[in-house]
Amino acid sequence: MEMKTLILNGERKDESVLSSVHEIIVDTLSLNGWHAETIILREKKIARCTGCFGCWTKTPGACVIDDFGREVARKAAQSDLIIYLTPITFGGYSSELKKAVDRFACPMLLPFFTKIDGEVHHKARYKPLPCLIGIGVLPCHEEETERIFTKLVEKNAINLHSPASQSAVYYSSQNPEQIRGGVRSLLGNVREWVCLPL
Amino acid sequence: MFAALIIGSPKGPNSTSNALGTYLLERLKEKGVSTNKIYIQQVLTSEQGMNTLFRSVGEADIIILASPLYADSHHSGVIAAMELIHRDLKNKPGIKKQMMVAISNSGFPESSHNDPSLAISRRFALECGFEWAGGLALGGGESIGGRPLEEAGGLVRNVKKSLELAAGALARGEKLPEEAIRLMAIPLVPKWLYLLIGNIGWLWRAKKQGCRERLNRRPYRD
Repeated sequence: MEMKTLILNGERKDESVLSSVHEIIVDTLSLNGWHAETIILREKKIARCTGCFGCWTKTPGACVIDDFGREVARKAAQSDLIIYLTPITFGGYSSELKKAVDRFACPMLLPFFTKIDGEVHHKARYKPLPCLIGIGVLPCHEEETERIFTKLVEKNAINLHSPASQSAVYYSSQNPEQIRGGVRSLLGNVREWVCLPL
Repeated sequence: MFAALIIGSPKGPNSTSNALGTYLLERLKEKGVSTNKIYIQQVLTSEQGMNTLFRSVGEADIIILASPLYADSHHSGVIAAMELIHRDLKNKPGIKKQMMVAISNSGFPESSHNDPSLAISRRFALECGFEWAGGLALGGGESIGGRPLEEAGGLVRNVKKSLELAAGALARGEKLPEEAIRLMAIPLVPKWLYLLIGNIGWLWRAKKQGCRERLNRRPYRD
């Protein structure tokens, strides 16, 4: 069984902080026979979510806005693993990545509520939903920012009913070999989640 | 003293964020604070709009960000505005140290869902050189549904009290009091009731749109 991975690249205009990490991720996945597709989000026409909830009550499971945001939602729903790749912005995702996340998060879910560990969340529309990995890039180590990012990915994974999730932070100043080792170890965890060789 | 309210909801004037922020702004006005209100979704679309936002942020003594929770964080428009404000301020060293507060509201009944969003607001404030004056987290924001708080009755008594305490502190140049934070976090209605009304509400809205039978469809896998 081939594992389908969707990489959402949230690099902003005139920025090139993600290219080396992205290359390492793609290399690691392809060397091991995983199918990976990357969407460079800034190159796509994706409108911002309007908060209308039409994806729940008008056109259930699909956004009412007919642009590439729908395509992101389709690809996300059909993936085994989603990788968020983003420059860390005040501890969170870049505006480019968040634009896409805002557009596909609701259609992946049902409006109805359920409880997970006593906390209220929306029910999943698809079962299973993809595993989630969040990879953030910072210029250098910043403890509080990294803690916020880790927590955000963890919360996203709970809300998206991801069977498993991980996050990692790399630094622009880091040696590519160190990053390669980190990515390999990170994706090694996914091998355990889905029992596939890496 | 001048306070700038920035509304982060794409629903703009019809949003719960607007209702919460406006109530705080009105209380500040009563204390002699000059105010200004900006809707991010309106200013983001033009250079002129962004310049208005930059100017308001630059002139403000108090910046208030009122925004809804979207996938555990701010709406993408808010993040885009944060990125642009941060970039703009990099080119303007030595501006005054504004106070910043954030009000985050979530459609889930627990206020704790807002934690990452408030943490991001705090980081934004610190990275911009603002003084972080605290965050207010509201759960069950759908109960307000964008209505002015004056029209929402007893449901929002703790919310109003929280914002009144916040206004008093901010007008004195102080951080948000713990009591304001605590009052805002108190659930508006019991969790079981919120879930019951919420689940029925979604069915009703879908029925109104004629798609009650298709609510559970799986367009990308069926």
